[in-house]
Amino acid sequence: MFGLGRLFYVILLLVNSIAVLSEDRFLARIGWSSAQIDNSGFGAPSDAVSVKTRLINLMSAVRTLMRIPLIGINTVIILYEVVLG
Amino acid sequence: MYQQQHNPASPPLHHPVPQHPIPPMRSPPPLQQQGRPVNSNPYLPQGGAASGYAPDNAGNGYNLFNDTTAQVGLQVGRNAVLAGQEYVEQNFGRFMSLSMPTLRSYFNVSNGYVGSKLLLVLFPWRHKLWSRQPKRSEVSGSVEGFMPPREDINAPDMYIPVMAFTTYILLSSILAGIKGVFHPEILGYISSVAFAIVIFEILGLRLGCYLLGISNDSQLLDLVAYSGYKFIGVILTMIAGALVSGYFVKYSVFLYTFAANAFFLLRSLRYVVLPESPVNPSSMNTTSRQRQRRIQFLFAYSFVCQFVLMWMLAKS
Repeated sequence: MFGLGRLFYVILLLVNSIAVLSEDRFLARIGWSSAQIDNSGFGAPSDAVSVKTRLINLMSAVRTLMRIPLIGINTVIILYEVVLG
Repeated sequence: MYQQQHNPASPPLHHPVPQHPIPPMRSPPPLQQQGRPVNSNPYLPQGGAASGYAPDNAGNGYNLFNDTTAQVGLQVGRNAVLAGQEYVEQNFGRFMSLSMPTLRSYFNVSNGYVGSKLLLVLFPWRHKLWSRQPKRSEVSGSVEGFMPPREDINAPDMYIPVMAFTTYILLSSILAGIKGVFHPEILGYISSVAFAIVIFEILGLRLGCYLLGISNDSQLLDLVAYSGYKFIGVILTMIAGALVSGYFVKYSVFLYTFAANAFFLLRSLRYVVLPESPVNPSSMNTTSRQRQRRIQFLFAYSFVCQFVLMWMLAKS
């Protein structure tokens, strides 16, 4: 029911769902755009950053970093599911 | 350690290069003269016995000069290699926290520690002092890391979690065998489930730490170790469920071990989530709101999350 493969699927789908969010069509409308938060530099004390800011940073990082690897991983998973699932 | 090795090597590089070669010049010739008759017997008939000393000495001097430069070069090279090793080790230790000395200190346990730690996990109510003991270096007295588990009962170890994990897998296959439904696949299935639960828990913990801005110098392995202690309670629950047929005993054992484990985690993870708060509140500028949120996170992790995960583990 909840083995390693399931965990992998869950993580992959979550990352997909983060990566599919559109920056200017969706996130900017609800005020979650990464352009709206002021990046006051890396020297800022890390405790002062709020949870929402961290979440936005994480999401933009996922979108930037995982976009190209996700294409490959998704293709492999879809082929696997079509052939063997 | 690195500085002690570096200091004797650096003076010959700067000024006493003429002074340093002299002691080696005096001492090695007997060695080489003892070595020569054995090695270079073919040369003796050519040069003769009387005149052989001068070229021999010149040859010795030349060799020695070569030797000193070679020695200096060797030493510099060795220092460079050592520095490189140390650099790699430090960086691996910082970024992955998986260097061998770090990992080894988690297994530095004794029989007494294992026994008292098991008792502590199962009966944490009367334990008073939960802070880990800092380890002071013998030279400077500055704090470097924490004491290993052998000397400090509050230190997290990996021995108990790993053993409890293995025992959990074996015990659940034994129980399946008693019920008569054992199949070799069940080993892989159970270990996969247990691994998934542990990984899920650690990912959630890391995400929570990131969102709340908890910069934990205590590494990922600490969290791995702490998340492994719940297997003790799960094992006891499964044994109780196998020995006594009624559900009441099993569930009461489960509830007790869950409460004990949650209390243990609440106390132990306090120094990870709320670092050094009582000692110097001025330097850590955690506002009271952040503190509140961290306490909520700690509570939710050690009670709600642990309840769900232990339930899933004990049921399967």
